[in-house]
Amino acid sequence: MKTGMQRPAPPECRQACDRLQDYLDQTLPKRESLAVFLHMRECGGCRAQLEMLQALYAKLGDLPPLEAPADFDARILAAVPYEAYRAMAPLRSPRVPILLVHESLPAWLRSRSVRLVGLVAATAALAAAASGAAAGTAAWTVAGVGCLPELSVRLQNLTRRVYVATVHRSIPR
Amino acid sequence: MFDRIEDLKLVRRCKRGEEAAFAELLGRYRNAIYGLCFRMTRRTEDARDLAQEVFIKVFSLLDRFDETYAFSSWIFRIATNHCIDHLRRNRMRFLSLDGFTGPDGEPMDLPLPDDGPGPDRLLERSEAMERLEEVVADLPPHYKVIILLRHDQDLSYEDIAVVLDLPLGTVKARIHRARAMIQQMLQARSYEI
Repeated sequence: MKTGMQRPAPPECRQACDRLQDYLDQTLPKRESLAVFLHMRECGGCRAQLEMLQALYAKLGDLPPLEAPADFDARILAAVPYEAYRAMAPLRSPRVPILLVHESLPAWLRSRSVRLVGLVAATAALAAAASGAAAGTAAWTVAGVGCLPELSVRLQNLTRRVYVATVHRSIPR
Repeated sequence: MFDRIEDLKLVRRCKRGEEAAFAELLGRYRNAIYGLCFRMTRRTEDARDLAQEVFIKVFSLLDRFDETYAFSSWIFRIATNHCIDHLRRNRMRFLSLDGFTGPDGEPMDLPLPDDGPGPDRLLERSEAMERLEEVVADLPPHYKVIILLRHDQDLSYEDIAVVLDLPLGTVKARIHRARAMIQQMLQARSYEI
């Protein structure tokens, strides 16, 4: 006799239907996925629900690709102010403490030739000390002074990179 | 789908002011962003304007782009926020046509211009797909965007969580809810897919 009331679904059907989307998304753990698979083989009602969802997934993934209008790029490229952007490059660079700005080190110290000569002198001094041709203290002093330009520049770069990475992290909304 | 490394190279070139790099980025994301804007608004004019504004905004915010994120996530975030803001601003324009009555209280159709695809294109598409597009278009904006990101743009749950700045669990729950809503709407309208 029909009572007009639907009989509640068995617990295993409710459980399987709750997991159907995860099952299709393949985000269920293997054991649970297998349980859903086995239940689908036995239960026609749940299988029908699965097939409906599968069809929906397939259709949603099949929405036809849309193409932008022909003049789309031209309008944007004409609207983007490259010249102003380039002119404002110094203002856009991330703000860092003054000691981390390149220009805080003297220009001569930053120049490639000074750094190279310093490194060569340091290497020569260490080599002379190792072969006994020069006094140890003097050689170490020359080596220290020689490495100073390169080390200063590298240390500043490294500190700035760490500062920018930690302080300037933002993703605009 | 989107090449994160190549995108990053292009972004760095853009930051140096190279026009060609921005044009290339535009070429990579043009159809995806336009498609998202169109399916969010269903109006050609609005979609074109919104997508163009997204790209100009991207250019102006390039310096604030955090390279630890994928560029694709960033541009989709800007686009989705822009579309949702637009829909909020223009809520009155997106009233349901069902149950609209004229001054005399009689049911009537709203005389809105139809900016959708023309009759030729409608014929080309399958009827089922049209119905599905209609149902997706009628979803509330937050559900619509998540369905489009998942199924139309093919983003992973994790990427969607970054794009929408939501916990992974919320993304999953919202996608499940959106799909259930689509099924209910299809059934309520007696549409078969």
